[in-house]
Amino acid sequence: MRASSLLNKAYSFIDERTGVKEVLHRSLDEPIRGGSRWAYVFGSALLLLFVIQALTGIFLTMYYVPSADHAHASVAYIQKAVPGGALLRGLHYYGSSAMIILLVTHCTQTFLFGAYKQKRELVWLIGSVLFLLTLCFAFTGQLLPWDQEAYFGTKVGTSIAGEVPLIGRLQQRILLGGTEVTSSTLSRFFMAHVFLLPVGLLLLSVLHVYLFRHAGPAGPFHQRADHRVDPFYPKQLFKDSLFFLFVFAVLVTVSTLAPAALGPQARPGSDFLARPPWYFLPLFQLLKYFSGPLTLIPTVVLPGLIFFTLFLLPFIDRKQERHPLKRPLATTALALLLLGSGSLIFLAKHQDQINPLFSAQLRRQDDLAKKFLKTEFRPQEVGPAQVSGTTNVHPPKAFVETCALCHGDSAEGNELGPTLLGVTEKPNRTKEDLLKILDNPPAYGLKDPMPESFPGLSDDDKRLIVNWLINLNNADSVSLLEQ
Amino acid sequence: MNGKAVRMASKVEPLQTARELKQHQSHFELGHFAAEEQLVSNDRRSLLGILTGLIGLGITSLLGVTLGRYSVVPALAAANVSDWVDVVRLDAIPEGKPKKQTVLVAQNAGWGRFTSEQAVWLIKKGDQVTVFSSVCPHLGCTVNESANGFGCVCHNSAWTRDGETSGGPTPRGMDRLEHKVEDGVLKVKYQSFKQGIPEKVVAS
Repeated sequence: MRASSLLNKAYSFIDERTGVKEVLHRSLDEPIRGGSRWAYVFGSALLLLFVIQALTGIFLTMYYVPSADHAHASVAYIQKAVPGGALLRGLHYYGSSAMIILLVTHCTQTFLFGAYKQKRELVWLIGSVLFLLTLCFAFTGQLLPWDQEAYFGTKVGTSIAGEVPLIGRLQQRILLGGTEVTSSTLSRFFMAHVFLLPVGLLLLSVLHVYLFRHAGPAGPFHQRADHRVDPFYPKQLFKDSLFFLFVFAVLVTVSTLAPAALGPQARPGSDFLARPPWYFLPLFQLLKYFSGPLTLIPTVVLPGLIFFTLFLLPFIDRKQERHPLKRPLATTALALLLLGSGSLIFLAKHQDQINPLFSAQLRRQDDLAKKFLKTEFRPQEVGPAQVSGTTNVHPPKAFVETCALCHGDSAEGNELGPTLLGVTEKPNRTKEDLLKILDNPPAYGLKDPMPESFPGLSDDDKRLIVNWLINLNNADSVSLLEQ
Repeated sequence: MNGKAVRMASKVEPLQTARELKQHQSHFELGHFAAEEQLVSNDRRSLLGILTGLIGLGITSLLGVTLGRYSVVPALAAANVSDWVDVVRLDAIPEGKPKKQTVLVAQNAGWGRFTSEQAVWLIKKGDQVTVFSSVCPHLGCTVNESANGFGCVCHNSAWTRDGETSGGPTPRGMDRLEHKVEDGVLKVKYQSFKQGIPEKVVAS
């Protein structure tokens, strides 16, 4: 009794000075017309997921270094060596996909319920901007790990931005911070991903929720009088929490069973088949059907049209009717959009699968990334003491493009492949042997990830590589450049 | 006072002000909740409230523990990796005069193995070499040579050439580093020591 009266006194003390009771009352007792529903859980799940993304993101920057030299090493460290790092990065990585799924669901629900009508136009409008910001988050975040996928994904993505007429080149340069994907690009993307976009998303989310609360929930779409009213707390809040628990549990499970992807460090000259994340696949697939000036249709016209319609929807559709079945045009359009996007995603995946060249390359890339993820973390060497014994002769281009991914830039080896320094001192590794190995690795007992053949290497390339390796292994090396 | 406490404990006052009531009615063309409905929902209220709280607690504790380990454990794991580092050839050290020499010390810190230059002071007397850390035992500034031995400019600590304290706030003499000679090369075991205390204790 005494304890509770003390608690009440403390509560009154704080309330008199902060008005917390009124705030709680306003936020918890908000009346929900037609009663609480599972259909309403997506908005608050998005808000909570954003909090998780912000929290995990903030902590990821504790170790992450936004520089092309160290970004990959720092992400590999988080993923492989830091306790809880894999879970944290997994939550953030899969969280982005979850954000998009929830966004689409949230929009679909709002759309079907006609909840953008009846003085809720601004809520919808700001929601559309939030949708765009989330896509920007996904795009800028993709580059940050600086692995092959990140580098080539951004390269293609920014090239598409460069195809836009008139402003394309300018926009591409501004995105890249130059003409190529470099460390400058990484800095820009990092700044946008970590400072600019979060502030924008935060402010607009607050406005979104404020306007939504101001208008009040729209309630069910049918017009008949519904006398049931639930306050937000406890029923709706409980439904929201339970659903979010489900989302969170799925994210934790997926992050644990299938750790967030991280491939070998980006190697600009290498041969990599870039594929966008699943949510950009519809646009990617559309790119295949248009060529020449028509490319503008999937890159600019169609996304522009969709977002334009999305933005202005409440102003285009001014009828009061909210029942989805009594709005056949709107409902059909949505169904077509969702079905179309789904089919395009399926087609994109399917075509990669049935193309033997693509599927083999993608599988190889995937295997390599998985192998990289399994190798033990090796700290990056930083500082004045560098690898000794390497020559000052640059490796041949063919080596950089084909071999360096696994054997290191200077053949010093890395997580994926052994060093080739001193390789000639090993048995069966004369100059002739090395040439034969490049023709037929399995004949020397070399297994995956060493490829079975090197169709991309000409005989000249092979000779150059082997000569360079031999030189590396001779103390008094003759400069290859003098040949 | 008493009545107020009871009212607050019951927590069933969704509509208090006239403004709210009006707002409520205009939104939903509806009066208030029925009295019985409120009594029923009061029970549900507390049960669902507790469950909601438990969900929140579960998620935040999992995140809290993960973030805590993530932040703290790597900080405790960082350590110097190179035990013995090469300093200089023994015959390159001048007789009797303090010589400052940089050594490369590697430290595993997070994603990198950072090699940094650290300075040590060497004094050779015949066959005997003494190696001093250049880190001031007081607060970690860099110790330099002075007219009578060594001094730290930050807070005017001073030592003789043997590393004995001769003035200033330093709590102890200069820290000597373990060393050995292999094939004519002086090697040192580079370590950091706790600052500000009279005893020389390896910092861990």
